Amino acid sequence: MGSHAIPPALSIRGLTKTYRGGFTAVADLDLEIPDGAFFGLLGPNGAGKTTLIGAACNLLRPTAGQIRIFGHDHDSRQARQLVGLAEQDINLDRFLNIDQILVYHAGYHGIGRREAWRRARELMDLFQLSAKAKSPAGALSGGMQRRLLLARALMHRPRLLILDEPTAGVDVELRQELWDYTRRLHEVGTTILLTTHYLEEAEALCDEIALLRGGRIVARDTAAGLRRDYGARDIAEVYKRAMSEP
Amino acid sequence: MSTRFAVAEPRPYDQPYRATRPAFTWLLEREVVRFLKIWQFTVAGPILSELLFVLVFGFALSGHISGVEGVPYDQFILPGLAAQAVVTVGYINGTTSLFDARRDRYIHDVLASPVRWWELNLALVAGGAIRGLLVGSGILLIAMPATHLQVHQPLVLAVAALAILLAAGQLGVLAGSYARTLDHVYSIETLVVLPLGFLGGIFYSVGELPEPWRAISHLNPVFYVVQALRIGLLGRGDISTTAALVAVGGLAAVLTLWSALVFRSGRLLKP
Repeated sequence: MGSHAIPPALSIRGLTKTYRGGFTAVADLDLEIPDGAFFGLLGPNGAGKTTLIGAACNLLRPTAGQIRIFGHDHDSRQARQLVGLAEQDINLDRFLNIDQILVYHAGYHGIGRREAWRRARELMDLFQLSAKAKSPAGALSGGMQRRLLLARALMHRPRLLILDEPTAGVDVELRQELWDYTRRLHEVGTTILLTTHYLEEAEALCDEIALLRGGRIVARDTAAGLRRDYGARDIAEVYKRAMSEP
Repeated sequence: MSTRFAVAEPRPYDQPYRATRPAFTWLLEREVVRFLKIWQFTVAGPILSELLFVLVFGFALSGHISGVEGVPYDQFILPGLAAQAVVTVGYINGTTSLFDARRDRYIHDVLASPVRWWELNLALVAGGAIRGLLVGSGILLIAMPATHLQVHQPLVLAVAALAILLAAGQLGVLAGSYARTLDHVYSIETLVVLPLGFLGGIFYSVGELPEPWRAISHLNPVFYVVQALRIGLLGRGDISTTAALVAVGGLAAVLTLWSALVFRSGRLLKP
């Protein structure tokens, strides 16, 4: 777990985002994730998970609020180099080969050519993508594309890794491998923010879980604490009760 | 998934950002790699397209079309054709590159990185400018010997080319930022860029038009683009050298400022 001397991996104060058209996805949201945490964020579609992630990763412009990454303003370059994001949508550059996708990602983080290629080979080996290195992303299966998304997010050794539904649509085997790998990342000090619709995944992996509904956090605790608070057998039951509360 | 390799430790939280190689150069490289991968369509195609005009109007019909103000017709149309190609290619490169990135959301990879707004803007524009330079140079290198055209004012040509490449690149990037669908992209090309090109004096001298058409032509920005290249290549045009260069320079400056405001605010790239 993180030392108290290291600032929170993610600190959100008063985040509000209202989109064009007037829809408010999150309203006055506060969230703090300590360094070294494995944090789960659960909620139904439209709860604000993607908005929260987008705001933290500089993908959208918050209407109000403050976001800091390990103490740095979230849109500063210092903060940006500390965050890695594997999005739910497969958003791979269709003009580039697999190896180029990884190398250019490293380049966007200011990494030099030699180191970028070295790291790309390392991650392609690790995620068993080497055989497809010269293929375009569209030639990969869904599972391989998910692996590539994760490999890309890890190219610059982020300290905060955000995984937005990383196992959506993957088979049981790959899911288990991804779980094992993210656990190992966590063991060496990476803070992980995971969103998932697979409740057992959150229960198995996360130190702490927050439930998001209507742009607000309605509950936050360890899995055991949530079960106790809601008098539930498992997180699925906690989720059901929390989402049906008035 | 292999477990043979150790997992790399994350970087320290207080490590200042320091680029071994500027991210802008990577972005620019990516832009160039993108259009070179399909060079047949992005470079060779536009060159061939404009050379066909030279072939048809300059050679096949040369017996039926007398020169313009003493300049052989094949030489007269060449600067305008090169200008049209550069403007069109610059527009298309910026729009397709940026629109694609937005639509397929791989621009998120750039937005989430330490790349600064002006690095993104500059890389996109420079990519379009490089493509425009390749296409424009290709047209002139092939057609100039064939039409026996020599460069009359190389310095004017160089300055004009720089301003036009910048303006075309920024136009493409702006269109790529504002476009909501692919139909927008192509309809702007068909309904705006192409007509402005054809009505910009590529095939005729605007000075020979009756009023009010001559005055209306002076409102067309492509007119000044054609004039600037024509003066650089032929040594003469319908307006003065100063007016042509100031106009294209001003156009480039206005589009650059507009583009900078759009990228700095991020309102079209980020909801």
